[in-house]
Amino acid sequence: MSSNIKSVLEPFEKVKDDLYFFARQAKQNGEKVAGFLCTYSPQELFHAGGYFPVRVIGKEGGTPLADQWLQQYACSFAKGVLNLGLTGDFSFLDLVVFSHTCDTMQNLAEVWRRRVEGMPIIVVSTPNLNGGDIALTYLKRELTRVKEEVEKISGNTITDANLLESIRIYDMHRNNMRKLYEIRRNNPSLLSGTDMFTVVLSSMLMKKEEHNKLLEVLITELQKVPSQKEDKPRILVGGSVCQAQGFIQSIEMSGAIVSDDDLCMGSRSYVIPPIPQGDPIEMLAQMYLSRIPCPAFYKPGYDPAGPYIEKIKSGNVNGVIFLQTKFCDPYGFNYPYLRKRLEQEGIPSLLLEVEQNQPVPEAFRTRVEAFVETLIK
Amino acid sequence: MSAYYVMGLDIGSATAKAVLLDESGYSLAFAVRPTRGRLVQSAEEVKQEILAHTGVSEEAVKAIITTGYGRDIVQNKTKSLTEITCHARGAYATMPNIRFVIDIGGQDSKAILLEPDGQVGRFEMNDKCAAGTGRFLEVMARTLGIHLDEMGDMAIHSEKYSKISSTCTVFAESEVISLLAQGEEIPAVVSGLCRAIAERVYGLASRVGITPPIMMTGGVAKNKGVVNWLSRILNQEMIIPPEPQIIGALGAGIMGLEMIKKSNEKMNIITQNT
Repeated sequence: MSSNIKSVLEPFEKVKDDLYFFARQAKQNGEKVAGFLCTYSPQELFHAGGYFPVRVIGKEGGTPLADQWLQQYACSFAKGVLNLGLTGDFSFLDLVVFSHTCDTMQNLAEVWRRRVEGMPIIVVSTPNLNGGDIALTYLKRELTRVKEEVEKISGNTITDANLLESIRIYDMHRNNMRKLYEIRRNNPSLLSGTDMFTVVLSSMLMKKEEHNKLLEVLITELQKVPSQKEDKPRILVGGSVCQAQGFIQSIEMSGAIVSDDDLCMGSRSYVIPPIPQGDPIEMLAQMYLSRIPCPAFYKPGYDPAGPYIEKIKSGNVNGVIFLQTKFCDPYGFNYPYLRKRLEQEGIPSLLLEVEQNQPVPEAFRTRVEAFVETLIK
Repeated sequence: MSAYYVMGLDIGSATAKAVLLDESGYSLAFAVRPTRGRLVQSAEEVKQEILAHTGVSEEAVKAIITTGYGRDIVQNKTKSLTEITCHARGAYATMPNIRFVIDIGGQDSKAILLEPDGQVGRFEMNDKCAAGTGRFLEVMARTLGIHLDEMGDMAIHSEKYSKISSTCTVFAESEVISLLAQGEEIPAVVSGLCRAIAERVYGLASRVGITPPIMMTGGVAKNKGVVNWLSRILNQEMIIPPEPQIIGALGAGIMGLEMIKKSNEKMNIITQNT
């Protein structure tokens, strides 16, 4: 990697040492910070309401406080974030936004409401049926309600002009991230998967305006580098892991390159087709319904294997590793079908069950290495 | 006299294994020693033991391929490979029509499906828990006050078997103690324990897709009780190589030999072209 690119990456890396470095900085400057747990939270609305939206993420370690309130079959992501809510680690947040995707997330919101004091919460309910007029009408009404609630809590009025500007900034950001994914799809060795996931992580923890500027510089620098021949096997990472960094790094240490992903905290959240300008609430509703649907949702005519096969073909992917968070049922239901479809396409895949608040286990490394060994023939 | 030699080192959680091959792939000797937590030292011990035994000098060993949990910590290695690749390769070298390998080692068990050409297809490994591994048997032997090596014979000669329901080593231990307290005979308990392992491994193997002929490798393949229960539950014959414990090290050695041959071919092509 050139020293230019290395120095361009530096500001992104701040989040590796302190996830909420930028959030705390903003807070010190008197700004309001909203935490969101799911990419279905309409960040544009909170941005327009004067908040700096940051992703809520757990950290490595046990979750003794959360274990008291959540069942054993709640996922490690839910436990991890609730534990930090209970320890006061998130006390810098002015607002926490939950989405009703899976049942655990919905119920987590109610536990949080009762147990984490002094912090207003908003639950955004995206319809489980992601299609048709009824879903659109429902989501428009829901987003209007959320907008009014944000206005009430913040004391700021959200004008159409504000909201359109926020949508423009977020659209530009998604565009930039898609460009970066496209560059790596053609030439993954320009930027390792480990570095890519630092960029992805920082995209959820930095101001989009700032992140856009940094992304544009990074993209320009990467476009200057002549394409290199790469003989490492290319891996696409799928599944339901929210904190993927450690796993990605472990996969790349085994001699492969993670060239693409189908993760919610990854490429999935950047794929929203452009919506013609109009009523901003209607635009948001259309945008969130046209996403690659969360596995907890149903979209008529949608094939969950579609994005996988498309990325595998366009990016010459050699194998798929599913990082499946333990107890993530919606993703679990998708897996047998995905495995079958990949088999039909002749793409080897490996399923690994992971916990999000623990260091990468030795057995994970052995299995990944063995899988990569089968790809090098 | 061989022009060079290749060594496979399998540094597992329980034992360190070494196999020395000559350039034709003939296995000259092997060594097995307990690891006892000293990975580097036990690797060096088996290596020296085998060199002393065969009289081959260290310089004549052209490649050392390591595998097992300690594969990365061993110094002066040519390359490290996972146990999955090495067990598959070793089993295939022992019997080329093998399609399935069940390896039960000290702290994990694996089910590996081989493609007809010997390459690894799908595989599964147990994780999180020691149930269904050699460690499980070690703990139980201690609880029962018997020797690990006695367990196999004891199990196959027992007409009865106790039902062990727990899948966790620690809970199974307390289950065994309460069975003994109820007056259960030790051989029946041992047979029940072997059956419990076989059931765990059956689950693992089914996820991969059981495809005979099946070879069993790893130290636990020496336990007739487990082998017997596995062939009953899987309804398949278990092929046990003469030295199941060293199949991983053998596979590592063969991979090393193939590497050397491949790089020699490359060198030949380069010299021919220039």
